[in-house]
Amino acid sequence: MTGKTNPIGDEVLHAYVDGMLSDEERAHVDQAIARDPALAARVNDYFALNTLLRERYDRVLGEPVPKRLRPAALQRRRSTANWPWFAGLAAALLIGIGIGAEGGMRLGYERTPSVAGSNETGALLADASRTFARRAAIAHVVYMPTVERPSQLGASHEQDFVRWLSAKLGTDIHPPILLRGGYELMGGRLLHDADGEMAMFMYRDAQGRRVTLSISHRKASADTTAFALYRDGPVNVFYWVDGDFGYAISSGIDRPALLALSHDVHEQLRSRPSAAKQPSPG
Amino acid sequence: MNQRDELMEHIPRLRRYARALIHNRELADDLVQDTLERALGRLHQFEAGTDLRAWLFTVMHNVFASQTRRAASRAHYVEADEQQLGQAEFAVPGGQLRSLEMRDLDYALQRLPAEQREVVLLVGLEEMSYADVALTLGVPIGTVMSRLSRGRERLRNLMAGAQPVEKLKVVR
Repeated sequence: MTGKTNPIGDEVLHAYVDGMLSDEERAHVDQAIARDPALAARVNDYFALNTLLRERYDRVLGEPVPKRLRPAALQRRRSTANWPWFAGLAAALLIGIGIGAEGGMRLGYERTPSVAGSNETGALLADASRTFARRAAIAHVVYMPTVERPSQLGASHEQDFVRWLSAKLGTDIHPPILLRGGYELMGGRLLHDADGEMAMFMYRDAQGRRVTLSISHRKASADTTAFALYRDGPVNVFYWVDGDFGYAISSGIDRPALLALSHDVHEQLRSRPSAAKQPSPG
Repeated sequence: MNQRDELMEHIPRLRRYARALIHNRELADDLVQDTLERALGRLHQFEAGTDLRAWLFTVMHNVFASQTRRAASRAHYVEADEQQLGQAEFAVPGGQLRSLEMRDLDYALQRLPAEQREVVLLVGLEEMSYADVALTLGVPIGTVMSRLSRGRERLRNLMAGAQPVEKLKVVR
């Protein structure tokens, strides 16, 4: 490497911060930053600004949508004929799958009757775990990780990254490792709401398929361990409840593949409960 | 999932963006409401298979731009004259509460020209690619990059408590 340097333009610097550069361009900026502390400080500030923006405004994502922005209200204002209120949910197919106490998966299909257009929609909405599944489905589509995998932590450092991520998020919930299914942990995010804390972990495979695992620390403890499928459009969600924790794994991948992944997650969490729950001291 | 349901799933993100753009909660939700109403009225114009998010943010941009023009005298949309900004207003001594920093962010954002604020937020908060931002705002990608570069640098100076005028020259 010679001392030959092209000055880095402002726009290139911003593209660097936003991850819009090719590997080669990025390496070039990396070198310039290493040589120039002032440049490094500026880049740091730009990164910090993005983080600050998300810290400040991401909480809006978790706020309940005010009535006037909901379909029913908009419909009234627009006085159009027929707004399919939560049609996606109403059309959702819910399949309950029983899990034996020994932890093996017995597939007993129990189809709930179609709820489209029926009065059961309200009752379903009230069901906390299905609400959780719906949130998980939406979260899969909507949220981006707030803490992302540092590039120096390659796939061989999965265990390190798991610990690092949990510490970074400030939670004692540890995500399982899904490398066996080809999914690498990419990052995570922590949400707080009335139901308590919900940690989300995002995974991606080599083909760019994404899987989101949501772990909710529920206030009300329930020892029922039902394994269920919730479907919302292209997103499938397998979810279950185990004591204080609710789990939901969401993805656009097909159901058998998702079921296999869910199996993997379930097994890991069962065999190493400390992976998900750190016993609180005292 | 039909288009309307899909549209509803974008509401949290539209609200987040609007809140950062306008800051005042009620006015921000007004913007979201106007956007949704317009989008629903024009849903037939949306081409299935294209990016619904980009389309919704385009609708929001258009609503916002027309409101900005119409209500140019209203305080919430007014662009501050940066000459009036004293250094003391933005100076954040070390060890201050985090919330102060956050409030400063609201304030500093409102000091950016709307066109720069939009780009800084679409990239920084919405994590859109530059190409998507260009599409959303209907401007060339080079314009996106220069607005981003000026807007973010100005935001940095505002947050750092520096005199914005002086440093802006460097960015040009």
